[in-house]
Amino acid sequence: MSRNIQRIIQEANAQTMQQLTRRHFFQECVTGMGAMALGSVLGGCNWLGSKDTGSSIHSNPLMAHAPHFAGKAKSVIYIHMAGAPSQLELFDYKPDLMKLDGLDCPQSLLEGKKFAFIRGVPKMMGPQANFQQRGQSGAWISDHLPHLTTVADEISFLKAVQTDQFNHGPAQLLMHTGSARLGRPSIGSWVTYGLGSENNNLPGFVVLTSGGKNPDAGKSIWGNGFLPSVYQGVQCRTEGDPVLFLKDPAGMDRDLRKASIDAINEANKLTYEEYQDPETVSRIAQYEMAYRMQIEVPETMNINHEPAYIHEMYGTKPGVACFANNALLARKLVEKGVRFVQLFDWGWDSHGTDENLAIDFGFVNKCRATDKPVTALLLDLKQRGLLDETLVVWGGEFGRTPMQENRDGKKMPFKGRDHHTEAFTIWMAGGGIKKGFSYGETDEIGYSAISGKVTPYDIQATILNQLGFDHEKLVYPFQGRPFRLTDVHGRVINEILA
Amino acid sequence: MLFKIIPKTLWAIFVLGSFVFFAACMLKSKRVDYISEVKPIFNKSCITCHGGVKRQGGFSLLFRTDALAINKSGKPAIIPGNPDSSELIKRLTLKDPEERMPYKHPALSQKEITTLKNWIKEGAVWGDHWAYVPVAEVTIPSNGRGPFNLFGTPSWINNDIDQFIYQKIKKEGLTPSEEADKATLLRRASLDIIGMPAPEKINEWFLHNNDKNAYEKLVDTLLSSPHYGEKWAAMWMDLARYSDTKGYERDDSRNIWRYRDWLINAFNENKHYDQFLTEQIAGDLLPNPTDAQYIATAFHRNTMTNDEGGTDNEEFRTAAVLDRVNATWEGLMGTSFACVQCHSHPYDPFRQEEYYQFVAFFNNTRDEDTYDDYPLIREFHETDSLKFIALKNWVKQNEPTREKEIIQFVKMQQPAINSITADELKNAALMDTKWLVFRNKAVARLKDIDLSNKTELMYRYEAYRPGGEWQIHLNNPDGPLLCKSSVIETKGRWKEAKMHFAPTAGRYNLYLTYSNSKLKLPEETGMQFDWFYFTNPFPAKSYTGKDTSYKYFEELIEPSYVTTTPVMMDNPKELFRATHVFERGNWLVKGKEVTPNVPASLGGLPANSPKNRLGMAMWLTDKKNPLVSRTIVNRIWEQFFGIGIAETLEDMGTQGIPPTHRELLDYMSWKLMYVYHWDLKKLIKEITLSAVYRQDSKLNKEAKEKDPTNKWYARGPRVRLSAEEIRDQALMVSGLMNEKMYGPGVMPFQPEGIWSSPWNGAYWKTSEEGNQYRRSLYTYWKRSAPYPSMLSFDATSREVCTARRIRTNTPLQALTTLNDSVFIEVAKHFAGRIQSMGIKEKNAQISMGYELAMHHPITDEKRKAFEKLYDQALIQFKNDKNKLQATTGIEKPTAENAALIIVAEALLNTDEFITKN
Repeated sequence: MSRNIQRIIQEANAQTMQQLTRRHFFQECVTGMGAMALGSVLGGCNWLGSKDTGSSIHSNPLMAHAPHFAGKAKSVIYIHMAGAPSQLELFDYKPDLMKLDGLDCPQSLLEGKKFAFIRGVPKMMGPQANFQQRGQSGAWISDHLPHLTTVADEISFLKAVQTDQFNHGPAQLLMHTGSARLGRPSIGSWVTYGLGSENNNLPGFVVLTSGGKNPDAGKSIWGNGFLPSVYQGVQCRTEGDPVLFLKDPAGMDRDLRKASIDAINEANKLTYEEYQDPETVSRIAQYEMAYRMQIEVPETMNINHEPAYIHEMYGTKPGVACFANNALLARKLVEKGVRFVQLFDWGWDSHGTDENLAIDFGFVNKCRATDKPVTALLLDLKQRGLLDETLVVWGGEFGRTPMQENRDGKKMPFKGRDHHTEAFTIWMAGGGIKKGFSYGETDEIGYSAISGKVTPYDIQATILNQLGFDHEKLVYPFQGRPFRLTDVHGRVINEILA
Repeated sequence: MLFKIIPKTLWAIFVLGSFVFFAACMLKSKRVDYISEVKPIFNKSCITCHGGVKRQGGFSLLFRTDALAINKSGKPAIIPGNPDSSELIKRLTLKDPEERMPYKHPALSQKEITTLKNWIKEGAVWGDHWAYVPVAEVTIPSNGRGPFNLFGTPSWINNDIDQFIYQKIKKEGLTPSEEADKATLLRRASLDIIGMPAPEKINEWFLHNNDKNAYEKLVDTLLSSPHYGEKWAAMWMDLARYSDTKGYERDDSRNIWRYRDWLINAFNENKHYDQFLTEQIAGDLLPNPTDAQYIATAFHRNTMTNDEGGTDNEEFRTAAVLDRVNATWEGLMGTSFACVQCHSHPYDPFRQEEYYQFVAFFNNTRDEDTYDDYPLIREFHETDSLKFIALKNWVKQNEPTREKEIIQFVKMQQPAINSITADELKNAALMDTKWLVFRNKAVARLKDIDLSNKTELMYRYEAYRPGGEWQIHLNNPDGPLLCKSSVIETKGRWKEAKMHFAPTAGRYNLYLTYSNSKLKLPEETGMQFDWFYFTNPFPAKSYTGKDTSYKYFEELIEPSYVTTTPVMMDNPKELFRATHVFERGNWLVKGKEVTPNVPASLGGLPANSPKNRLGMAMWLTDKKNPLVSRTIVNRIWEQFFGIGIAETLEDMGTQGIPPTHRELLDYMSWKLMYVYHWDLKKLIKEITLSAVYRQDSKLNKEAKEKDPTNKWYARGPRVRLSAEEIRDQALMVSGLMNEKMYGPGVMPFQPEGIWSSPWNGAYWKTSEEGNQYRRSLYTYWKRSAPYPSMLSFDATSREVCTARRIRTNTPLQALTTLNDSVFIEVAKHFAGRIQSMGIKEKNAQISMGYELAMHHPITDEKRKAFEKLYDQALIQFKNDKNKLQATTGIEKPTAENAALIIVAEALLNTDEFITKN
């Protein structure tokens, strides 16, 4: 690389340093804003560009920022089990429900309720799993998750999560964007908007799906909404290009790509000398970064070089898009400084309509396929000293009914449970969360939350809190008002904080 | 010498002295200005708690009437003329932290308190924010005349726009730049006016024409190019939230491309902006609207429709109505109005009730979040269009009183009752919340139907099972029978049918019943309905030609090939919907009923305007409307300079960034209305002919220090191209561009796995026969998975109106133009184009490539950078046949072919190329 280009890059870096001194400015502004609205996307205090910088983002919008206060967690791994796993077969042990198994559901539980598929009077269905208390903490975990039982003492369970959306799409949107409607930024986008990325050669917000289906709500649950597009989740694919357009065209090797970027940047340097436009300097830096991404992303996304014991631990299957591989990748990504890693698994919608969606068949298989990797992820993070600074969240978009599903009032070929919004379990571990703790209770049949109720907004507020953000102050002005992830809701679940 | 200097100095002292005196007089008599002095203090320190959202102590500073009113303390906080007894002033200086304002925040400065005191003393007069005052004629600054300048108008100035700009440039101590060279101007004007490089013929002509007015001719040529409409339609599509899909979870396909084509034509025909807006807002309410005028109203049918089963159609109909309000304000009036949905505007003079008065304009359209996006305008083709004309003429001749109704039904199948509005369902359901479906012994109600003067029901249905009968009863399921019909199986197809009934005047709840003994299981479904249309039989008298006309009528109801577009259409009287304030913005909590109106702070509806969308359009395009002209002028300016005169295109209110050149904005807005009569091409011509636009965009040392962001325009605009322009330019320069216009969205190459909709089998199939090389605005737009390369260059998903794209500069953009197959293909063609010109030598090839892209010769230094790349590539390809083959993809390639492709690709990636210089 020519010396001239080096000089320009230095200039770009110097500019970044200048921007970094705005950290303080950013903090002041966001705190000072309070309930006040910012009048414009770029106006007032927004550090993305002040009134003076014109309408484009001159510096790297993904550079690292400081949050509102020192957070316990540096990164988040959010494991979303799309379809909604049954809490009644995993964590919310209800021996009394067993006694009611096969009996008609009492009218009092049905009156005024709306179910996705249950019609008429369904039958109650007892837990379809064996439960035991695990570890020092005595957490109830069923036999479906034998590996997870060994790390029970690392986890805080939220047993009384409630939502108000009983369709997958809206419920997933609510869980990840704070709104059941499309158009809001996802939590990972908010986090990258607030924190930037620690690693310039990797996206700040990475999404990994288990292959097969995308979640019902589509890419919107990792979309940037009204935030600049640079904050959207980057779906790293295990087949094809890990990041869109990452791979050089056929026939071009690394040397030639380097030569081509050098030529482009040499020309850009001359353009800069002619026009003195700071955007050109930024563009030179972006081409350099693109080149480094081309090396670092595939390296990070390649699990082949991991030692055998790691593969054994996770149960990975190199070359296939599967949950186990993604769990390992999640660890690799946070190790490299990625802020937010979102894993999406699917197939948890256990209605009982077929074998795959049966609570006593397909569901058990889903447990088996994910139990080992999830546990491995926690242990692996722990052995690397990363668990303390990585918040791991596990959950679905809602829960499942204590009644057996009777679609259209008919008996189903397999055992299944319908969508349920009033009580379900989500767990968190690491990142400053209490170890071996359980918060919230449901009634004796697991139908309603009776204490320690939390909402998706509370979970979002807690995640932001662990990263060092006051969820009421991480705002972005849009359509004339400051928007935030939790809208007008949300409470940090202080009870589970270490 | 001395003799000469002394008088001059003395004169200067005299002038200075009189200025000081004059200024002192001004100071003494100058009143406190609410907008520039008082309002900023309120906005900064008070309005968070005493504004449109919170009214602590019952006190709000948003409107004068509220601020002077008696609040919770039992007395008013402001007593005009008497600051000392005004509680507002007292509270600012108290010692008790619980009492002193601003509460829990630092006290106001002495200067601020004095300002407020003086202002109250002078009567506490409220003022209007500049953007809410009608546009008035502005005096053009004269930079040429006056005692200080004996040299006349500076030669830099070309037109009146420059006078405004020059005045500020001078004031800031800057020097304007020289005119850019011809090549730069050619590229800049082409990209700005038609959104892509001009065709080669125009380039040739301009670069070799040394006429004084060649540039003006170029501008005229570009303005009359059909590509002009494409560029400006692409801009408007962000405001209109144009998309080829319906949005939300299912995000199914929607046919609305005829609206995009309408936009292109409207810009090309230079439809004046007042007419342009009127047709989009209320084309359907114009006298005898044409199909095109109906299609224009699809502007507000680009709202999202939710097809997910189990979702409440009324909720999403309401969401669409509110979106129309927000888009109208943000897109057409540069005002963020959405916040007024939940409470009065926190800063600007809009009350919550006024939001819902505006909602009332839109709340009576026929659309109801139906699956098919009803109502649709149906455009007939070929013989069908002839049949339609014949039918129309026949009805006009024989039954003129029914012409409007019959023709409207044929064109729109309206006003029909959508089956999803049925309720009181028994053995019936709204299947997937899309259609009313009947099981055996089904009952459903259609509420409050007016049967007066009607004797026929047409309906659209599908029967899955043979047999069965359906009936309509009045008042209750066992009430008097209105009519009945046995059901004919439709074999999986929708079909129209009719029933007749005896004249029955009045409004009734109609109970639809269905029974079919062939349905054995209780959950088996027998038939479903789409809509019901209560009418009268086709003209029955024995007119000549009746049979043919009736045949045409039936054929046109369900033609085999028809183009449909969702349009606006108001409810007939009997389907009127009342509009209510939503308490705290919640659509389920209905407050006071309101009628259509516009906010009081922006002047009322013009005299004689109807209280409907047409009246609203008249208000929007009234010269007294303070926002509409300023918003479009600001937006057009932004298209040329990369930044609006008021940077926040979406908000010209008190929280927006104030305009840098307010007088210029007003001058152009005034001229657009009063001189150009809303002719946008004239405005664009004035802007592009100005000296400020034609300046060189190089940043000199002086400007780098004094004005790094070009706020004062002492140099020309230098802006990265838009997502559409980047792709279109590449296609054009390489010769791949297919200039075909109009038609359904096309699918250029897109990587695998971008589309994965959970509920439909929709898939991306790369278009063929050159359609993959059409201009970017024709790219099929799916809201949940927009075209990825354009998204990375800041295009938006268009779920809602986007008043302004925020430009970013990211490594993903670099990866897109480096590696996206579209750009690889472009590079190959670009290299092929250079070679086809018969140039053999590498230096000449590189120079030619650069010149095709930039219109001017390459510098030696730049060429050397590309030569180096060429040489490296050449060595590699000579040594590696596989790479050579892979890069060129042609038979018997040479290493020289491949090396040139690599250089062509690099050229397409230069900052110069993706930027308008």
